[in-house]
Amino acid sequence: MFNLPIEGEELFALEFGDIVNYFSLYTTTLFLFAAAFIIIAIIARPERQTDIVFGTDAVYTKEINQDNLRFQRFMAIACGLATLGAVSSGDLFNFSLFTALIGITNIGIVAGVNNRYVLNAAYNYGIVAMVATTFLFGGASIALGTCGTLSIWELAGKGLVPLAAKMFLVLGVMGEGMAPFYIAKAEITRAPGAPYVLMIHVSSLLIFLRVIEIILTV
Amino acid sequence: MDFYQAGLFCTLVCVAISFIALFRERDDIHKILVVDLVETTGLVLICLVATDLAEALILPGLVVGISELLMLAELYIRKEKLPLPSFKPIKIEVMRTAPPIISFVLVVYGIILSGFSGGAVAGIGMVFYFLCKGYEERFELLETVSGYAWALWIAAFFIFMILPQAWLIAVMLSGGAILVKVTTKMALIGAMREGHNV
Repeated sequence: MFNLPIEGEELFALEFGDIVNYFSLYTTTLFLFAAAFIIIAIIARPERQTDIVFGTDAVYTKEINQDNLRFQRFMAIACGLATLGAVSSGDLFNFSLFTALIGITNIGIVAGVNNRYVLNAAYNYGIVAMVATTFLFGGASIALGTCGTLSIWELAGKGLVPLAAKMFLVLGVMGEGMAPFYIAKAEITRAPGAPYVLMIHVSSLLIFLRVIEIILTV
Repeated sequence: MDFYQAGLFCTLVCVAISFIALFRERDDIHKILVVDLVETTGLVLICLVATDLAEALILPGLVVGISELLMLAELYIRKEKLPLPSFKPIKIEVMRTAPPIISFVLVVYGIILSGFSGGAVAGIGMVFYFLCKGYEERFELLETVSGYAWALWIAAFFIFMILPQAWLIAVMLSGGAILVKVTTKMALIGAMREGHNV
């Protein structure tokens, strides 16, 4: 499978029966990127926003609730771990499960912010993410139904997976990775919940890159 | 056209219908219900494959679906700032006297059965006990026990893969762990009657 142009050279492969968890140059890059952002989420201090009182010179710094902070940090780390799983799994169904998990943890990160508009956005994103799991599981199961296996290693380069299954997978990842569109792009580092919001962007970027690799490989 | 393709076509029609329903729905709480409908059609897509592997894939799919549903519901409660309802405990005499003996019998029988079905039987016993006797914020304890049981289960799987000759200890380990896991999962239902730590 490593003579395909997108993969790069093989670095590591771990066999569990027909499911082979593999690291190519491509997935290793994604893996290291996600790992770096987990470390950032662990060591980062929360952003403390300032409110300016209208008409005066007074400036208030918002206090971050300790419970909220711990919850968001936990969710950010969990999201990073799910991303690690999604970029390194060698199984279509495991990939879709990890992607669904990324969706759940993304909403967790956003829901830590106790702001009505933010929660509204998170709710709407949650509906999209839930709908997207249908496509994810549908794509994986159509691939299983037509090819008889879910292993990316075995399907690689054969072109057996029907176009519909690939389209379903991409649609599903689009739904799960849609989280950044529900957050103002300009406020990645200053938004409520920063810097843990960063993990949302990283995870959605990485699952998009990974699904592109998968549909070009299988 | 074979059965799989015919079933696939029907399911995709169902998906389309549920999407139209979601598109037309305006009320937030009804949206949650319709979204659950959409998820169920996703499970039907897996069911259509109808092999052992597909059967094994249903459970994680279902778990992910339920956890997303729970998350969305929690988010809705938080968004709308809904208050927690408070109930008065039910006063029935049988519910004060019967639980210890019935729960004991069910739990012991469940341990004898072991495995998934044993877990279900023992779990019903614990549900009954918690429902009748009440509890005091035991969620964290139950979650911890459930987590350790899950870790044991995974360890048993690794023994199966790496040391197949030690299959007996792996079977015992996974049977005991799934018993504890199902029991604690079901006991959570009984503990949901009251409290703020849900």
